[in-house]
Amino acid sequence: MIKKKIKIINKLGLHARASSKLTQLACTFNSEIFLIKDENKVNAKSIMEVLMLAASKNTIISIEANGSDEKKAIYDIDKLILNYFGEGE
Amino acid sequence: MSSFNIHGVSVSNGIAIGKALLISNALLEVFHYQISRDKVPNEIKRLSRAISDVKKDLVKIKKRLQKDSSEEFSAFIDTHLMILADNNFSEKPKQIISDDSCNAEWALKKQMDIIVAKFEQIKDEYIKERKNDVIQVVERILKVLLGHPNQPNYINDESSTILVAHDISPADALQFKKHKYAAFITDMGGSTSHTAILARSLNIPSIVALQNARSLIKNNEKIIVDGNQGIVIINPSQDILEEYQVRQNLWGIEQQKLSKIKNITCKTLNNEKIELLANIEVPGDITSVKENRASGIGLFRTEFLFMNRKELPNEEEQFEIYKSVVKSMKNKTVVIRTLDSGADKLTSADTTISSNPALGLRAIRLCLSEPQLFNIQLRAILRASHFGLVKILIPMLSSLSELRQTKLLIQRAKKSLSNDKILYDNYIKIGGMIEVPAVAINAEAFAQELDFLSIGTNDLIQYTLAIDRTDDRVSHLYNSLHPAILKLINTTIKAGKKYNKEVSICGEMAGDSKLTKLLLGMGLRYFSMHPSRILSVKKQVLNSNTQKLESVSAKILKTKESENIETLIQKINQ
Repeated sequence: MIKKKIKIINKLGLHARASSKLTQLACTFNSEIFLIKDENKVNAKSIMEVLMLAASKNTIISIEANGSDEKKAIYDIDKLILNYFGEGE
Repeated sequence: MSSFNIHGVSVSNGIAIGKALLISNALLEVFHYQISRDKVPNEIKRLSRAISDVKKDLVKIKKRLQKDSSEEFSAFIDTHLMILADNNFSEKPKQIISDDSCNAEWALKKQMDIIVAKFEQIKDEYIKERKNDVIQVVERILKVLLGHPNQPNYINDESSTILVAHDISPADALQFKKHKYAAFITDMGGSTSHTAILARSLNIPSIVALQNARSLIKNNEKIIVDGNQGIVIINPSQDILEEYQVRQNLWGIEQQKLSKIKNITCKTLNNEKIELLANIEVPGDITSVKENRASGIGLFRTEFLFMNRKELPNEEEQFEIYKSVVKSMKNKTVVIRTLDSGADKLTSADTTISSNPALGLRAIRLCLSEPQLFNIQLRAILRASHFGLVKILIPMLSSLSELRQTKLLIQRAKKSLSNDKILYDNYIKIGGMIEVPAVAINAEAFAQELDFLSIGTNDLIQYTLAIDRTDDRVSHLYNSLHPAILKLINTTIKAGKKYNKEVSICGEMAGDSKLTKLLLGMGLRYFSMHPSRILSVKKQVLNSNTQKLESVSAKILKTKESENIETLIQKINQ
């Protein structure tokens, strides 16, 4: 299992489109993936749980992955977040 | 099982005795019922199938969208697809079915309530609003579930079923029209809510604004609905039950007596002929129009043709529907009101919900801003006018310039029909709804430019008294006998008289037999109401002398207090 802290930097935070991109990406991995904000730990493969995390801009979350492709999972999700979810801001 | 009573506002008379059937609020017809343990796997399968059907549906929609390349929309569908696939809906409701041995619809609804409640706690307004996506997805699944042909028969005989709902939306109302329930009772609503209109149209008792009926009444409990007094009795004792069986019979006898005056000409004691017309929503209402011998149709609400569907009805479809009504009324008047959408009646043409829809872009305002949509309807109405006596009624006018614009569009529609060599009545009469106070105050100006005036009292009261008629916290302030309302009605009737134009009332006041004499005294000669009200109003007309009533009405118009007005009205009705 690996874990990484990361800051949400895009303007709208984990809103509907960003959440759906993140969930879609998470679903491509075999590993179990979780997002953690404060004491809330949610399944990254569930759009609703990700949405309900309500992580706005500048929130720090942890990504936790556990499985055969955990390394790649963390790397790709990290990249997506750093890339402003491909939304440009 | 102790017996108790709850009080509400009666909106449709009569007495019903039956078993309660609770329906969940916004979500169409979700009933709760228990299933036997061995049916659980089947019920789970039913849910899985519905979810996969919805998925196929969404994928199909998405494919169609991609051609039009609307990325925004396609992302929207993606979100819905993901919600659908989410463990929270694909798995959790199955758990509920198996834990509670309940039906799939209920399990789904229960799970949705949990999720929506979680969303409600989110501070971010934007994310909070995403709960609507969840609701929309659930509604999609529910629709598939409910439309399932193998739906078990879980209701008692409909004629002894009393529907207990939080509120009834216009869309629900259309669905319920096809059933034969004994009564409707709701937590919300007022005398002009859709529940009320629906119940009167089905001629069954109804009580609204009961506040928390849904939490106090259990499914299948025996209840009595006394629509004459606004009381619901839950688990009545044997003697109360017997007492009500007697009352129910007496009420039936009274109704039979009314049916005896059906074929008598509708005129007053001093031989003045009064026109009692009918309000209708769908062509099917014609049966009841004929049964009650209405002298024509004073209001054909067309917005119901636009509801419960994805695409707007085209000209041909509208024309066929208008024509069928016009032809079945032979040469009697049929007043067709153009689209009065917006406010609480949502259609596919108007999907944005503003915070104050009653004052927003609706009715003629919407039609003038969507001239193409309006043109289709105008052409359809004009084409139907060739087959009988059709009049056009324009809803929610607020200025003369709107009226002139509308007339111009009617002229254009006529011209386009002439160019297409299609027949229509070139002398078709154009009337306006008087429902905005500004127009009632200024009625003379409108009377000069219109062929007839029709007072829509429901909206006129709502706008004049600033009462939201769907808000039960203020519904007690909704008062049709407010001196200001009577003054506006009087001004309008006088304006019509001055310019020799017909004036009718097509709101709820026209069908309230307690007010018939007052309105006759004020000079009203055309009443348009729900067909089921015609005979009780007719009974009043037959016992009235308009000359004698004039002075009483004049006195009422000078009265400052609603309470005193009520006393005076009771007196003339004695």
